[in-house]
Amino acid sequence: MTRKKVKLAFITNDSARKATFKKRKKGLMKKVSELSTLCGIDACAIIYSPYESQPEVWPNTLGVQRVLAQFKRMPEMEQSKKMVNQESFIRQRIAKASEQLKKQHKENREKEMTEVMYQCLTGKWLQNLIMADLNDLGWILDQNLKEIYKRIESLKKMTPTQVAPPVAQPPPPPPPQVAAATSEMLARGVHGQEQKPAVESGNVEGMQRPQWYTEWMNNPNENLGFGHGDEMMMQFGDNHNAMWSSAFFP
Amino acid sequence: MAKKPSMGRQKIKIAKIKKKNHLQVTFSKRRSGLFKKASELCTLCGIDIAIVVFSPAGKVFSFGHPDVECIVDRFFTRNPRPNSSAFQLVEAHQSASIRELNLQLTQLLNELEDEKRRGESLDLMRKDSQKRFWWEAPIEKLELNELEQLRDSMEELKKKVTNQSNNILLEIKPPRMNTASSTTDIRSFGYCDGFF
Repeated sequence: MTRKKVKLAFITNDSARKATFKKRKKGLMKKVSELSTLCGIDACAIIYSPYESQPEVWPNTLGVQRVLAQFKRMPEMEQSKKMVNQESFIRQRIAKASEQLKKQHKENREKEMTEVMYQCLTGKWLQNLIMADLNDLGWILDQNLKEIYKRIESLKKMTPTQVAPPVAQPPPPPPPQVAAATSEMLARGVHGQEQKPAVESGNVEGMQRPQWYTEWMNNPNENLGFGHGDEMMMQFGDNHNAMWSSAFFP
Repeated sequence: MAKKPSMGRQKIKIAKIKKKNHLQVTFSKRRSGLFKKASELCTLCGIDIAIVVFSPAGKVFSFGHPDVECIVDRFFTRNPRPNSSAFQLVEAHQSASIRELNLQLTQLLNELEDEKRRGESLDLMRKDSQKRFWWEAPIEKLELNELEQLRDSMEELKKKVTNQSNNILLEIKPPRMNTASSTTDIRSFGYCDGFF
């Protein structure tokens, strides 16, 4: 079975149209039959075509009469409530597709702004962010921060005796700070963690980083994907060998 | 926020479904698909059709072209397809609007497909980055001191974002009105309600 995408328009070629009709009609009847059996419900189909004087039906003439009689017995309102024709049906499909598109668009926007956020965290400040971008970026930051605070809370609850990392084991290097703010932060001693940017302090023994982090540190020249490797390297590269050599390359 | 992978297309036995939930979901999906196929058949081959389906709950769904009533009547009375010029005129109008709608639908479906693909590539990018930088890993995987560092970095970034927003707002804020038009003058004295 070839799976070429068929354009949703009247097939002008007569023989192609007839062939399509035969195939699709057969498939349609099969689907009605399956629906009826799988769900144990009554159904019927009537197809008038230019190729036959009599309509083609499912299940059979008697069966159709029975179902239609059942249909006609229902109150008018019930009959028309879920009744559609081409126009109304396609409109319904359009409405649904629009909804899905909106949702997908929103999801993609969130993903996009998450990328922007991570780029900014590595120090690259994107100058051409417009108001809408800044708003969304702020929102993404808020969402992430919410999760982080929650996680910090629960971790602190779980291990109350290990709240502060032992002095002998300094915290790992932070993500490279927003470039302009870094020196300010150091000067101000933000959050009272003087040891924070370990890049400057140089105490790095006893590190227990996840494996991939170790790998990254050992491969500083690996291509970093977003093209912001330069910023990254500027922050870490210079100090890299000097700082880590004692720990990793004794 | 990854989508749960669905089971994909499974071959099922054509017999009445045992579980009620499953049955209802199947009915809903297949009925929808059936109408979609019927609609496509109408468009592609220009035929008349009616489908009537009763739901497990006893409600009735029907699809018809040109409409269900017309086909049902035609079936019972054994009348041939109406051929009057009036009928043909109505039909021509209908066909035109249906053509329009189909075009609109096709365009939307294409856009949707594009956005989905974009989403998938963004997901891949994310997965890739998560492997490289420790602070990009999912939050559940981070240790306490890493979380605290990340929190601080994000708070800093947030401040920067807020600053930048304020800068932009200050830039576009209109200058104070001292060379205002007469309308604005009146407005500033609070007379505008009476006059306008």
